[in-house]
Amino acid sequence: MKFLCVPCDSPMKLQTVGPPEGGSLSVVYSCPACGYEMAMLTNAYETQVVQSLGVRIGPESGVGASSTESASTSGTGCPFTAMIPTEGEARPGQAGEPIPVRWTAAAEARLANIPAFVRPMARTGIERFARERGALEVDEQILDAARDFFGM
Amino acid sequence: MKGYHDIVGDGGSRILEQVAEQRTRITDGLAGVRHLVAVGSGKGGVGKSTLTLHLAGALRARGLRIAILDADFNGPSQARMAGVQGALFVPGSHKVALPRTRNGIAVFSMGSLIPESKALEFESAAHGESHTWRATKEFALLGEILGSFEWGALDLLMFDLPPGAERTVQYADFLGPRTSFLLVTIPSEVARGVVARSVAALSKGPNRLLGYVENMSGYYCRDCNAIKPLFVSPEPFDAAHGGPSGLGIPCLGTVPFDPELARHCDQGFPLADLPDTPVGRALEHVAQQLLESLDSTTEPPR
Repeated sequence: MKFLCVPCDSPMKLQTVGPPEGGSLSVVYSCPACGYEMAMLTNAYETQVVQSLGVRIGPESGVGASSTESASTSGTGCPFTAMIPTEGEARPGQAGEPIPVRWTAAAEARLANIPAFVRPMARTGIERFARERGALEVDEQILDAARDFFGM
Repeated sequence: MKGYHDIVGDGGSRILEQVAEQRTRITDGLAGVRHLVAVGSGKGGVGKSTLTLHLAGALRARGLRIAILDADFNGPSQARMAGVQGALFVPGSHKVALPRTRNGIAVFSMGSLIPESKALEFESAAHGESHTWRATKEFALLGEILGSFEWGALDLLMFDLPPGAERTVQYADFLGPRTSFLLVTIPSEVARGVVARSVAALSKGPNRLLGYVENMSGYYCRDCNAIKPLFVSPEPFDAAHGGPSGLGIPCLGTVPFDPELARHCDQGFPLADLPDTPVGRALEHVAQQLLESLDSTTEPPR
């Protein structure tokens, strides 16, 4: 979708994407020639169709750019509502509170690279793998050890 | 006044560019895969998933590097059958490593992520209107899986497709012309009719139709060590010998139903663990035909 400032015959530029509210996004465009601003307010269907493409909506650069991913109602970035286990949740059948496991910045960075829908399960599984080996910190060595252990 | 095509870019949302970037990521991720094979049918319940897994097993036994992508997100069965239901997903430097079966087949299945007691649901701003966006979301998910997992160097990546003739064509569109199709039917007129629709629809596109497999072509009775009829078709045909199927594509083989094999599937045992049976030999034959078809540069007759 493109927007044209009719009086200036000039393409408008995306300025901001407002926080989603009730399934609606507020997308503000402005005309670089005359400064006129307009807002596109999406309905829930329009919001969802764009979300379904798996793309982010926001200015090419700029602080506070919003994205369709942040429109997630759970706030976890996970697109599924039926998934095991959720972030920080024990695996089904696992009794009691698990011993906390720290993640190094490098290991967290590797985790952040993978799709949101796999992340919670990967985190829980890796932490369990680390605990079973007496480690209370997940670092890149633990991640590599897990890959080797499972023949990946 | 300017028209749409007079304006370069889209003012900053970059949606089209992002979609193009997704496609590039998929292409790059699959660059090391020699053959992409989608196993479909159009008809449900003909044994696509079982056949996919066992063909993968037969090909793996020949030393080929094989992966399966269970593209049936709403009814995933590969995780259970391949024994990767509780698999661990390990982040690599940029992508996610794939769980593997005991015989070394890499498998992605939603069944590894979502318990069988739950249905796959997506968060949605448009509550109760999933018919307007759900298919788009599922294909975006497929793209993310293709672009985010370590497929690496493979001889074959097999897609286990969901049922539905129209879905089969949607997958062909999404996966592109590199993907060849193997269709599965059973000896029933109803199934053949649906598969014939899939053939007709796929024939309009650029994808190669390798042929079809007639699954459940009789059943293997262990007591009498013989293949007995399972379906009584009003117009029987000898698919194994190129009899009239009405499908117009080559038959790569017939595979009898084996109750013992079905039990093993439920428990996640690979074919390699089974003793030599007529069913195993039939799968070996199909695997051989499949490889010959893939390596042939000649377009199969239609």
